[in-house]
This record gives sequence, structure tokens and C-alpha cells, in this order.
Amino acid sequence: MLEIPAQIWEKVRRNYIWRSLFRHGYPDSRKNQSLAVFTNVFLHLHPVKVRRHALAIPYTWCMGGLSFFLFLVLTLTGTLLMFYYRPTTEWAYSDIKDMETVVVFGQLLRNMHRWAAHGMVITVFLHMVRVFYTGSYKPPREFNWVVGTLLFFLTIMLSYTGYLLPWDQLAFWAVTVGYNIAAATPVIGNEVAFLLFGGFELGPNALLRFYVLHVVGLPLITAFLIAIHFWRIRKDGGISGPL
Amino acid sequence: MTLQRGPQPYPGQEKRLRLLAFVRQDSVVRVDKRVEDTAMVWPHLLVIEFIVAMLWLVALFVISALFNAPLQDHANPDRTPNPSKAPWYLLQLQELLLHMDKGLAGVIVPSVWIFFLLPIIPYVDRSREGVGTWFTNSTGKKIFLFSAVYTTVLTFALIFIDAAAKSAGYIEWASQNLPGGKVLIPDYVIPITVMTGLSVLLVVLVKKLFGADTRGWVNALFTGFVFAFLVLVFVGTSMRGPGMDLYAPWNLPTTIE
Ligand code: HEM
Repeated sequence: MLEIPAQIWEKVRRNYIWRSLFRHGYPDSRKNQSLAVFTNVFLHLHPVKVRRHALAIPYTWCMGGLSFFLFLVLTLTGTLLMFYYRPTTEWAYSDIKDMETVVVFGQLLRNMHRWAAHGMVITVFLHMVRVFYTGSYKPPREFNWVVGTLLFFLTIMLSYTGYLLPWDQLAFWAVTVGYNIAAATPVIGNEVAFLLFGGFELGPNALLRFYVLHVVGLPLITAFLIAIHFWRIRKDGGISGPL
Repeated sequence: MTLQRGPQPYPGQEKRLRLLAFVRQDSVVRVDKRVEDTAMVWPHLLVIEFIVAMLWLVALFVISALFNAPLQDHANPDRTPNPSKAPWYLLQLQELLLHMDKGLAGVIVPSVWIFFLLPIIPYVDRSREGVGTWFTNSTGKKIFLFSAVYTTVLTFALIFIDAAAKSAGYIEWASQNLPGGKVLIPDYVIPITVMTGLSVLLVVLVKKLFGADTRGWVNALFTGFVFAFLVLVFVGTSMRGPGMDLYAPWNLPTTIE
């Protein structure tokens, strides 16, 4: 009996198509484990080997990885939300209402996007805290810390631009607070407010600008910086550790 | 014929291989070369990553099934809720707004922190000592605890002092008696002096008390940043009611629409 699945597995593995996808055997030997990592475009973000203490959860708290995980969740749920949402003052609010009442699993989708966004602000903050207190910004990782501070800023801006989109009272007045802050910029207050909000009050232009920043501009810049961040981790010799 | 491994020169071109450059490895990739305990990424790291990702995905599903994202009435520019609050991760700025000039609180202070003070940390503290060890050593831990208490107590104290002064009529008094009226000194001079003064005092204290080196006082200032951030977010979220007046967290009235 038990040979049958084993035989099928053997057949699949010898199959021409399978071998065109994977150029190594099952990763149960050192050689195949290395090949599994560096012949895979997703896995090869990782080195083949890591220092043992980099695996310790008390060391990294997994917070960098979790921030990235939440970024991916947000990209996926956000893209699904885009199918139902129109960034105009006529439609935005009712589209969100429909999401909650008409769209199948719409409420769940919206909740996931919302809570993951709050979660990401928290995980990125905690990640920064762990990097600081473990001294992981020290040479040669100076520049990656700088990239990190930009990511912190972008994470907050992503959350904030998303906050306006439901166009309900909560969104409107929370973003009004931000508008007043931007308008209070010394010397160029009006210009800054106009640039960000497309006018001198919160209206259709502000909604459209925040939408474009939220779904295209900021995610692209963030993804770009995350790529640099990860590349630099490798080039700086992997996760930091005691000398 | 024996097969040679690796890329081969074309026939007739064997002689054209030449040395292009000699690259010292650590000029490109600055790895620490040590004999050390390593683990294969497959399976050890990938298993951890997979389990953590699954746990969090389940957690996110559960949270999203239990709690709905808020959705209030359609936006209405004529109906101002009292108080109107920014999202919680910006409430530290909204809290600062109550204590100083708006541009200073909302633009200058956060910009200085995020685009200047945080990024320059590694360029100020450049020794590699203590990397990979929580708080560097036991002194580092003491500096952390001291700075956390210092900042928490002082931030709360400043908020209460400001509230008390305002209810004692300090703004009216300032506009009549201070040069520059109720703007120059209350909105700029005092807040800037307090913020920089208390930071300098913290550095002096940790140097005196713990003999802090560069890492030590940078630790103190970063801890100050983190705890000021947390206290301000907490006060903004749980202690500010209608009119942005102070309330005890357990007595916070609901928003008036
Ligand atoms: C979108 C936000 C971010 C993502 C997705 C991210 C992701 C990661 C990941 C996956 C790691 C590997 C180690 C770990 O998990 O701790 C890492 C390391 C690192 N991150 Fe981030 N990060 C983000 C933001 C930040 C911020 C805000 C800072 C600091 C201001 C920062 C500074 C660093 C540094 C210096 C390292 C190297 C640490 C070491 O070698 O131990 N990152 N990041």
C-alpha cells in the first residue's frame, strides 16, 4: 500500500516538467539544501547558512520579518479592496458600506487590511527598538539603519493616507488634524498643504491624492527601500551578532 | 576526453583571459570572518519563518473575525466631533500641538527626529563594541531603565504643569506681561528650552551616574525618544476628552458629535 504514494512521488520527480522547475533533489542533504535556497528567486534573499544565534527569537523578536509579512498581507488585501473602491467623494463611503454588507467576505477583507496596517506600525516600531538596543546599527550597518528610518516614516505615511479613504467622520476629522499641522509648516505652510491636499480644504482632490499616494506612490517607494534593506543585510554580513 | 568544470574560454582564446582587477573582498562585502556556529537556512530558518507567518496569519484572521474596522457616518465638514483626533500613531504630535507652536510641534520637532536625529545615530556612535548584545552590558541596562523612568515622569509632569498653568490664567498673564506676548516665550522659547534642556540634563546625568560612554548617552537619548513617544501617545489616546481637556483614563467621556 504505502509504496504507491512513494512511487507516484518518484514518477513526479523524474518527470521532465518537474525537472525543468527544480534543478535539485529533495533538500535532505547539505548540497540539495544549499541548492534549494540559492536556485529559488524568493528563497535566495537568504544566505545558505546563517549564524545560529540569528535564529533566536529573543534576539530579533522576528519583528523585521513580521513587518515584511504584514507588508505582503497589506499588498494582497489592498489589491482586492481596490476592485470595490472608487476614490471620489460621491462613491468612497458607499463603496465601503457595500464592502461590509454586499461583497462576500468584504467585511473580513476590510478588517484584515485595517488591523494589519495598525499591526505594521507596531511591528516596525518594535523592530527599530530591537535593532537599537542590540547595537545592530553599528558598523558596517550604518546605512541600513538610515534606510530603516525612511521605512519607519513611509510606514506611518502609508497608514495615514489610508485612514482618509473611507471618507467617514472618523477619517475626515483625523486627517483634518494632519491638514492643520501641514498648513502650520513655517514659511511654506500654504504650499505644503496645497501640494498634499490639492486645495485649502479637505475635498475630492485630497481624497484622490491620498488614494494615489496610498495605492501606488508610497507602496512602490516602500517596496524599493525594502529591497535595498534586505540586500544590505546580506552585504553587511547577515544578522548582527556578538563580535 | 575529460570534462572540465566551470565556464571555459572559447577555443583559440585561452590566452586572452587576463586579470581585470584585484578586489579585496571586504571592500565590497563587509562580512565578519569568524569560525562560528552556523545553521542551514533550509530547514532551520525557513521552518521558523513558515511557522511564524502561519501563526500570525491565523491571529490576523481571528482578530478580523472578532473586531470590525470602525466606520462612522459619512464625512460632514459642518459637524465637527469634539474632540477630533488623529490616528493613534500621530497622537504624540497632536499632544505636542497643545503645548507649543503648531509648526514647531507638528513639523519641526518630528522632522528633526526622523530625518536628522534618528538617522545620524550610527554616525555618532561608531564603535563596534557591544554589537549583538542586548543593552551592551549591565551598565547599558541601568542607563535604559534610568532614562525610561526619567522621561516618563518628566513628560507626565510637564503635561500636568502646563494644564495647571493654563487653568491658572497663565496665557492671559503672558500676553500682558511677557515680551512677544503669548506667542514668543510660551510657544517657542519655553518649549525649545525645555526639550533641549532636559535632553542635555539626561546626558549629563547618565555620564555622572553611570560613567556613560558614547553608546551610553546615545542609549539614554533614544530611550528618551521612545518613552516620550509612548507617553504622549498614551495621553493623547486615553486622557484627552472634549476640548482636548485632561481626564483620568478611566473617566474619559465619549466624543461629542
Ligand atoms: C517596512 C519596514 C521594515 C522591514 C520590512 C524591515 C525588515 C527587516 C528584516 C526582515 C531584517 C532581518 C532581521 C530582523 O528580522 O530583525 C531587518 C534588519 C535590520 N533592520 Fe529592518 N525593517 C524595516 C524597518 C526598519 C527600521 C525602521 C529600522 C531602523 C530605524 C531598521 C533597521 C534595520 C537594521 C539596522 C537591520 C540589521 C539588523 C541586524 O543585522 O541585526 N529596519 N529588517
